[in-house]
Amino acid sequence: MPDNKSLTTPKSTSLPAVNKWVLEQINSQITNQLNSGVLVLDTDFNIVLWNRFLQVHTDKVSDNIIGQSIFTAFPELPQRWLSRKLSSVLELNTPSFCSWQQRHHLFELPHTRPITTDSEFMAQNCTFLPIETDTGNRHICILIEDVTDACHYQMQLQKTLAEIAQISRIDGLTQIYNRKHWQDTLEQEYAKARRHDKKLSLIMLDLDHFKLLNDNYGHQGGDKVLIEVSALISALLRVEDTFGRYGGEEFAIILPETDSAGAIELAHRICRIIATTPLIYNDQGINVTVSLGVAQLSREESNYEALITRADSALYEAKLKGRNQVCSAPEVVF
Amino acid sequence: MNEFHLTEDQQDCLQELINIAMGQASDQLARYLDTFVYLKVPSIESVEAKELMITLSQQKNTLAVVSQGFFGYEGIRGESLLLYQEEDSGRIADLLGYEPDELSQDEQLIDISSILTTTFLNVFAQQIDNQLSYNAPKLLPNVQEILSEHLQQMPFTWNLALKVNINYQVTDYSFNCNMILLIPETAITNIKYVLDRVLEEF
Amino acid sequence: MSPSVLICDDSNMARKQVLRSLPPEWKDSVQVACNGAEALTILRDNSIEILFLDLTMPGIDGIGVLQGIQKLNLNCSVFVISADIQPEMQTKVKALGAKEFMRKPVQSDALLNNLQQHGLL
Repeated sequence: MPDNKSLTTPKSTSLPAVNKWVLEQINSQITNQLNSGVLVLDTDFNIVLWNRFLQVHTDKVSDNIIGQSIFTAFPELPQRWLSRKLSSVLELNTPSFCSWQQRHHLFELPHTRPITTDSEFMAQNCTFLPIETDTGNRHICILIEDVTDACHYQMQLQKTLAEIAQISRIDGLTQIYNRKHWQDTLEQEYAKARRHDKKLSLIMLDLDHFKLLNDNYGHQGGDKVLIEVSALISALLRVEDTFGRYGGEEFAIILPETDSAGAIELAHRICRIIATTPLIYNDQGINVTVSLGVAQLSREESNYEALITRADSALYEAKLKGRNQVCSAPEVVF
Repeated sequence: MNEFHLTEDQQDCLQELINIAMGQASDQLARYLDTFVYLKVPSIESVEAKELMITLSQQKNTLAVVSQGFFGYEGIRGESLLLYQEEDSGRIADLLGYEPDELSQDEQLIDISSILTTTFLNVFAQQIDNQLSYNAPKLLPNVQEILSEHLQQMPFTWNLALKVNINYQVTDYSFNCNMILLIPETAITNIKYVLDRVLEEF
Repeated sequence: MSPSVLICDDSNMARKQVLRSLPPEWKDSVQVACNGAEALTILRDNSIEILFLDLTMPGIDGIGVLQGIQKLNLNCSVFVISADIQPEMQTKVKALGAKEFMRKPVQSDALLNNLQQHGLL
């Protein structure tokens, strides 16, 4: 059984006067050497105390600050929101918090880091604490913690993670999406289309006689063709379309909110541009054509793979019919 | 509740202390929010770590979880988790007395979580002659990996948690959230001493 | 003659808190109920003069008991002792006939004071 007496809250003991004064000085020095801001307000939100950290990080003078409303001293503060927040601390007698992740900063204090960050101001975590003294006076203590470092490194980390994620989604050669990411995206678009009953179409396309092209111009020539064709097609697409490399010489495009008419029109445009744009490799002009298959999502498909199959069949048909053309999967009739 | 090996008297005492804390916290809140809070008896159950993960992953509609650490004297400490469903989060700004564009939805969830956690725990602490301090609340996106990582990385080992199901119903619309108090073994032992002390007074 | 008393609360501890505040001579005429349904049964079958009533109980809650008492037209002095202390609740229980509202945890002197004020002590 723990000795309860020794663990109870220390009640105010009567310290000899000398020690009390020494304690006060110690407390005061600690407050002024903290690497955090300390700001104390009364119930009218006027400043009654601030520490050295704030004095040196702002261009304000103590004599002017003490007694001023916090909103006059720091006009950048969002007054209505902060007043409500400070009220909650007083009325409920509970702490409140403000994290840099929701608001980068409250007080405009310049940061002192040698690193360059996205903001000229210090990133802050603020804590609002209710304080009651034995005279019955109530105050709010605002602690301002400088978290610029944490903020900066977090941003860097997120940026790097995003880059890594992006790299793992991209096809190295053509710089468009790789098959895995394209397929993952199709899975999502399929689910969205089903959930909201929206249109969705696919174009599967394949370079004609690519093996012959490789034989004639070598793999480097083949690679150049893949890169150029990718660029040509990308330029024709909207932001919401997803273009990926499906296989060695096969590509695929997801067209959300598009019906087969729209997809076919785009497919024809792609077909025409590639056929009519000569690609240059080693001072030689290479003529390339593509075959395309188009399919629109119907009520038939029970998964996204089925849609790919339909588009693929249409692509196969385009090849059979002589290449350099567009075929679309037959509409499903009930 | 048997996993905590609380006697019937201790269970009863704990439930009663929690009821009183809920009553007072709700009253404070009602006055601050300028509304009436319909009070239901919070149910208390013990839940094991594994069980908790399963429960959390099964709640498909969970929008977010806010986590906040608390600590006081006599080794009373733990972490509170507040779970919100998508449908409950629409009018929190309204409820808190802010304009909806004054703060992001994340901030709304964090603010109300902190208020719910600290008002309740403050009164509870008062009942047992204690005083609590709090860490800043953290919003965890409802991603399974992040949740389980967070639960595994607690600064204390815990196998059992006290699940206090709080249902706040506010005058013109229903606002629901579940509060789970994660309390490590050592703290539960201390709570038992406290409960015995309270019971001794009778 | 000690009055017949009923203490209704789902918490054993809360019931004990009320019991120990009562004058010791009353102890023999005190009954207890753990929920609203039990309380109404006892109230119906006995003439209970004083009822100490909790509000937050599962099943039939305190409000339900107060309404039951009104319907059965029972002559009983009801003192509500509750964790739910919102002013609206206090008004509501008084409107339903409760003599006084006391907040939990109940204080002995407050309880005895209230009994005295209503001439029951």
